[in-house]
Amino acid sequence: MTVILPLLFLFTAISGTAVVLVRDPARQVFAIAVNGLVLAILFDGLQAPDVALSELAVGSAAVPLLFLVALMAVRTQSPEEKP
Amino acid sequence: MSVLPYAVAAWLFGIGLYGIATSRNFIHLVGCLGVCQSATYVLLLGLGYRWGGIAPIFYDHPPGTPAVDPVMQALVLTDIVVGATLTALLLVLTIQAHKRGGSLDPEKLRPMRAGGTSGRGQGASRVSDREQSTS
Amino acid sequence: MSPRVRIALLALAALVLLPGAAEVIAGLPPFGSTIAQYGERINAITPEARHVANMVSAINFDLRGLDTLGEEFMLLAAITGTVVLLRGRRGEGNTGHAMRRPGRAVIPRSEAVILACRIAGPLTALFGLYVVLHATVTPGGGFQGGVILASGTLLIYLGEGYAGWRQAIHSHWLDALEGGGALLFALCGLVPMLTGAAFMQNILPLGTFRDLFSGGLMLVENLGVALAVTGGFTQLFLEFMEETRAADEAEEPGEESA
Repeated sequence: MTVILPLLFLFTAISGTAVVLVRDPARQVFAIAVNGLVLAILFDGLQAPDVALSELAVGSAAVPLLFLVALMAVRTQSPEEKP
Repeated sequence: MSVLPYAVAAWLFGIGLYGIATSRNFIHLVGCLGVCQSATYVLLLGLGYRWGGIAPIFYDHPPGTPAVDPVMQALVLTDIVVGATLTALLLVLTIQAHKRGGSLDPEKLRPMRAGGTSGRGQGASRVSDREQSTS
Repeated sequence: MSPRVRIALLALAALVLLPGAAEVIAGLPPFGSTIAQYGERINAITPEARHVANMVSAINFDLRGLDTLGEEFMLLAAITGTVVLLRGRRGEGNTGHAMRRPGRAVIPRSEAVILACRIAGPLTALFGLYVVLHATVTPGGGFQGGVILASGTLLIYLGEGYAGWRQAIHSHWLDALEGGGALLFALCGLVPMLTGAAFMQNILPLGTFRDLFSGGLMLVENLGVALAVTGGFTQLFLEFMEETRAADEAEEPGEESA
């Protein structure tokens, strides 16, 4: 555990940086999903299985889907006109 | 090692803030806000850890074994669900802003004025350009 | 303000706050040395006082149940806000046509995807139910199981398509689930007061330690949270999906929706 935990923390920092530095929203969705997975593994390493379950389901399934559908809704609708 | 979690939390918050400040797309901005939120999760769980502690679930181990802090885990659990819901609400506001303003760029949206056209700065939509060119 | 000014202000703020942050980080206890006294006491007394093995569930539903009540209603309020914002603009109609971008081919759903979703969907739902029920003995609980169940309904969308999904998931059921879950949680707080106990005091028999039905009132609250979270997240998905449908008729110019 003394070797794994620093590695997990560094992975978390790297994946968080990747979410910010990926500018295209369609690609950022994958970065968000990977970030959720890395966070879930970190929480498991910190002896928090409830939190890891919650973060996995929310951060890798629910939130990327919301982002994808928001992108879909934004790209397929035209902005409405004001008279 | 003894300050690594706190340093990682500070770094994540800083980079998330930088992402929010320099973002050119609202949807990217909401993702950066999620990074700021994950900084708080890392900080809370880092505060609640103990070397050699087990998870605070006494099913396989007898009660009394040194365990990690369950209060921090309860806080982070609530935090995660609240964060996901707020992300959804912010995405809805982004969709509405795009409908009204025609653009997802934070630079291009201006405050709405009563009675006049809604906030459409330099990035005018294609339809109004066509109207102006035909009139 | 222009982007340069914004970045300059951000750098200035970071420079000012960095010494303070470094001071705070140096003052925190070293990572992994001790945990707070409150956590120690909870770990020591809760297995006997409440007969549960999962400390986090005990904190969420019994020891700090009031915070979870607030969080439930926050969830309800945020999802109601989402529904109001989206439906207020779009109307309550139900259409099946997806909006198309011109010039992009529509790829039909492959049969491998349909088969995988039909196998994985019921398994996910079963797993979500297992996680919800074992709130007091293993890692799990209302929140986790509720989100797993909500993502199981997504598999229905992936496998059956939008029409099949809308036939399976009705918005009124989701409203009932969400509101019913929050109401159940609120009732768990008020009903003990009818018997003379305090708000949300654990009045039901506590059961035996490490048994599935242990914890008393915690199980009812757990059920309420699971219903509310499932209904809420599926409602979110439904609202977002509806956004991508084409409007039935063109909106008249000058017409403001309420």
